[in-house]
Amino acid sequence: MQLKEFTIERVIAGYRKQEFSPSELATSYLDAIEEQNGRLGAFLQVDRDLVLAQAAALDSRRQEVNKLPLFGVPIAIKDNFLVKNWQATAGSKILKGYVSPYTATCVEKLESAGAIIIGKTNLDEFAMGSSTENSAYFPAKNPWDTSRVTGGSSGGSASAVAAALAVGSLGSDTGGSIRQPARLCGIVGLKPTYGRVSRYGIIAFASSLDQVGPFGRTVQDVASLLEVISGYDRNDATSSRAIVPHYSDHLKGATLKNVRVGIARDWLEGVDGEVRKSFDEAVKLMIKDGAKIVDISLPHSRYALSTYYIIAPCEASSNLARYDGIHSGFRAEGVTDLDSVYFKSRGQGFGAEVKLRIMLGTYALSAGYYDAFYGKANEVRKLIQQDFLTAYEDCDCIVMPTSPSTAFKFGEKAADPIKMYTSDICTLPVSLAGLPALSVPCGLDSQGLPIGLQFIGKHFEESHLLKVAHKYELERGEFPLPAGVDY
Amino acid sequence: MSGSSNLDREDVLKIARLARLELDEAEVALYQDRLGRVLEYVRELNQVKTEKAATVKHVPRDAVSIREDRAIEFTDREALLRNAPAQIEEHFLVPTVIEQN
Repeated sequence: MQLKEFTIERVIAGYRKQEFSPSELATSYLDAIEEQNGRLGAFLQVDRDLVLAQAAALDSRRQEVNKLPLFGVPIAIKDNFLVKNWQATAGSKILKGYVSPYTATCVEKLESAGAIIIGKTNLDEFAMGSSTENSAYFPAKNPWDTSRVTGGSSGGSASAVAAALAVGSLGSDTGGSIRQPARLCGIVGLKPTYGRVSRYGIIAFASSLDQVGPFGRTVQDVASLLEVISGYDRNDATSSRAIVPHYSDHLKGATLKNVRVGIARDWLEGVDGEVRKSFDEAVKLMIKDGAKIVDISLPHSRYALSTYYIIAPCEASSNLARYDGIHSGFRAEGVTDLDSVYFKSRGQGFGAEVKLRIMLGTYALSAGYYDAFYGKANEVRKLIQQDFLTAYEDCDCIVMPTSPSTAFKFGEKAADPIKMYTSDICTLPVSLAGLPALSVPCGLDSQGLPIGLQFIGKHFEESHLLKVAHKYELERGEFPLPAGVDY
Repeated sequence: MSGSSNLDREDVLKIARLARLELDEAEVALYQDRLGRVLEYVRELNQVKTEKAATVKHVPRDAVSIREDRAIEFTDREALLRNAPAQIEEHFLVPTVIEQN
């Protein structure tokens, strides 16, 4: 069997034809991960026993392949999700050795649908980063060129799918952490509407922005995963009761005829030449298929970076206050009193970027500064959202590049925080507005690195968004795999 | 967007104290620079007119419903305790917090 051939549909078809059993497929993936992970650093934990136990349970339920939409499909999970009996380090030393006491709702849903959890993937510490260089363990490497970053923070989840070490994966997206690595690794990644997927069991970073979403090789796979993980959960007060459509069924007969596609021209300034060229070609393809282009304006989005880098650190400084060296994970040695437990454990347990963001948030929330920073940023956030709602009076969806440049080299942006933060300039406004968006590969640059097109939809209208992206994907044709993926 | 002149060493130490983070000397210098750069950058928000923000509704949040606030018991005490860096019987173990004598 060739792992590089597998999409969800092909795995299910293979089971139906009895080409392999869940145990045989799981073993093939485990072997491939064992061989490739040293090169790619995509996984932080792969536990053969835990994987084979899941597969063996499915071996005896073969007839359920017709009932369970993800029967025996190997799915990788970002290591800031809790999966009972698996580790959950969030890529941080402060949670080294932490074993999940329960399972996140979205992962429970995957398990109920028959999925095999194949491993826990690498990430920037506490999902803070755009390159996975901030992982406390080792960086994830881009399968297209291992001297380059995967993007982040869900870099391991993106790398795993791009390198055919999992059929699909889950990540979390706070400011672009699904879409940007999907784009840099040449796969599809979706951030649903805020509230669409339960956040229960996800290690919190910035609670008003965090959202769970799927990675896959195709829009079809991402739609299939979204329909399984979505829905109301009483354990997440911000999860929505909006009904969950059959996203994957809705893709049939998708058309771009008369779909009004919004483009914000001023956003294309500052985008690399090759990225711009690829974007223009993708738009041409959509026009050819009947889409109508509408010029829109998102004037406040130019402040998205500043707005995000106030709101997210404020919420992070509060969420990360729970890591105290007492209840879980790491405690520094040589501590003599309670204060030194806190100060030393947190000082030694958190990495540089996490400490920077905790301090940014602490400063912005401190007495006398709250209104000037958090209050003001929340007002600008509303204006950013309002611009999108106004734009949607004239268009059905919006397209823009997912990120301004292709995968960069390790260390290239590490010294300057603002330079690194601008990698997410095209994804941040969407996160602040709580809108759904996905990145679909739209070409390769002259160095053979993937370029991505971001489709942005209306709140809770993932169904329409996926249809448009799916139709574009069909017009584009098959997207290649990285050269080393030949197994 | 330059420089770290807007934060001095004492500011960094104060923020670190509030955040319960012990920093070494090299880190104090590093964060003085990096915090300064980011704070300088985000200052651009001061120029945004935000009077209209009061009339804007936050859509995803409005779609969220309120439920009954009811606690659910979590019974797997073992699973929680085994993640603690130090525990004794059914308790988290911490250094002495009350001065002896």
